[in-house]
Amino acid sequence: MDLVRHLRYFTVVAEELHFGNAAIRLGMAQPPLSQRIKRLEEELGVRLFDRSARQVRLTEAGHLLVGEAREIVARADRLRELVRHGAGTVLKLGVPPDLAAAVIAALVAGFRASNPDVRLAPAEIWTADQVAALTEGAIDVGIVRHPISAPGLRFGQVLVQPHGVLLAEGDPLAQSGELHLADLAGRELLLPPKEGEPGLHAATLAECRHHGYVPAQVHQGVGLGLVLAGVAVAFGARVDLPGLAWRPLLGSPISSRVSTAWRVETDAVTGFSAVAVRTLKESAGMTDEAAAPVRHISRRPGMLA
Amino acid sequence: MNEPDLTALFGSAGVTGWLHAADLRSGREVGLGSDEPLPIASIFKVPLMVEFCRQADAGLVDPASRVTVGAADRVAGPTGLSAMLDDVTISLRDLAYLMIAVSDNTAADALLARVGRDAVNTMLAGFGLPGTRVRQSCREITESMAEDSGHGWPYLDPADITRLRVLDPARTNSSTPREMAALFGLIWRDEAASAESCAWMRGVLNLQVWPHRLASGFPYDDVGVGGKTGTLPTLRNEAGVVEYPDGGQYAVAVFTRSVSTALNQPRADAVIGTAARMAVDHLRR
Repeated sequence: MDLVRHLRYFTVVAEELHFGNAAIRLGMAQPPLSQRIKRLEEELGVRLFDRSARQVRLTEAGHLLVGEAREIVARADRLRELVRHGAGTVLKLGVPPDLAAAVIAALVAGFRASNPDVRLAPAEIWTADQVAALTEGAIDVGIVRHPISAPGLRFGQVLVQPHGVLLAEGDPLAQSGELHLADLAGRELLLPPKEGEPGLHAATLAECRHHGYVPAQVHQGVGLGLVLAGVAVAFGARVDLPGLAWRPLLGSPISSRVSTAWRVETDAVTGFSAVAVRTLKESAGMTDEAAAPVRHISRRPGMLA
Repeated sequence: MNEPDLTALFGSAGVTGWLHAADLRSGREVGLGSDEPLPIASIFKVPLMVEFCRQADAGLVDPASRVTVGAADRVAGPTGLSAMLDDVTISLRDLAYLMIAVSDNTAADALLARVGRDAVNTMLAGFGLPGTRVRQSCREITESMAEDSGHGWPYLDPADITRLRVLDPARTNSSTPREMAALFGLIWRDEAASAESCAWMRGVLNLQVWPHRLASGFPYDDVGVGGKTGTLPTLRNEAGVVEYPDGGQYAVAVFTRSVSTALNQPRADAVIGTAARMAVDHLRR
């Protein structure tokens, strides 16, 4: 089945909550639309809508999936648009798969505005694989996470984004306005894959340990299902998703540090690098590395008393 | 944002509680019974330290000058000079350190004799803290309890406890949660004495050894807590300042009175920390 197309139908029905109206918007008849939603439900093995005689409602699972579905559809649209723009020079770009869709879109739009003659070809690649891809010439420029060790690569300005905690809305910790890492004791943690982001993995776990949090288990992945289910917590920039709570971390100990990276410097690469710094600051709330807070240690005598 | 339900929190710990918390940067406040006159017990050692510093700033006392504390000066208490057996020669500022860091009653009375009760009260009035008064020394607190109950420590009988003058704010060292938080605000803003003296006072308050009250609500290496406890039968208090890693500073004063007359009151101790955390979390939202 064409998953992206089915997901597009799903997002439209989820917006209209009415199969007839959704069918009109999609320019198709209602019966085939209903059939396709059914097929999507069979494919995913979960009901997306409660259909009573009078109204259509999203199920819990439907609520969970609609945001992801919108993102996938938006990315597919972006892909097609990029192909349409495909004349002239190509700049092959790698971005971490968990970079927010809106940020990727802003990067592409920003670069297109300043470099209309160069076509940007983005691909989702984790940092460790970007290093290999840059070395082999499979991509020209990447957005990578720090800390990173990659001899032969050059990096743009490192930008920092303080992360908070994502946890299930019903978690008792969500009652606090902010959390300390030590408050997470006993909870499992969801991080991006270790093989793809080894630097982030090690740095995050080291910082957790310094602040008194050793996760009971570390899960690897990008979907927030485990967090929504209350199985694990995750770190990330502020998001507003149903069923999830985001709380800032006291002292901002966890942050995402990213920069552009390249091996061969071209006009397109430096142009992209400049756009990336501007875009990440404007649309992803990132700041210069120097602005990150320095850790302060209390002088309480508890240790020796 | 709704005010935190402090009444329920105190109730679940078996105490009546009063609290005042103020954000020292923004001036935002939250409280429960902020203006209730209450016995402050050993927290009176904080205004005593402030006046000592002001006299040192004015050249009236030499903080490094030494005094000898002998058997006749010794006051009941479980820590510091109070628990020692032999005469001690010590500087005035080290007496102040002992009375704050371990609540040493003997050190406090030795310093109070030098600084003067009236001077402390004049200083408090000058800072616009009319609800705060120092009426008793540590020796007078101990002796009045023996007189009121007709026997020595411990005081466990509820009938005895109702007779204790040290639990009547009109007859003992007293203040309000708001004024205690204000006094700590003066120390943290370099307004209580010279900047140098205030820095020294903050250092001493940060060295207080007790982890079970205010500090227990902030069990984090990167959060600083400086404060002073106060304890009398059924009464558990602490006032201090909580410092967050982003520079946020919160003066908090928490007072509790338990229904139980037990000497060990771990739930009352802990709720001081929990309530302070809840109040600070509210101020940071």
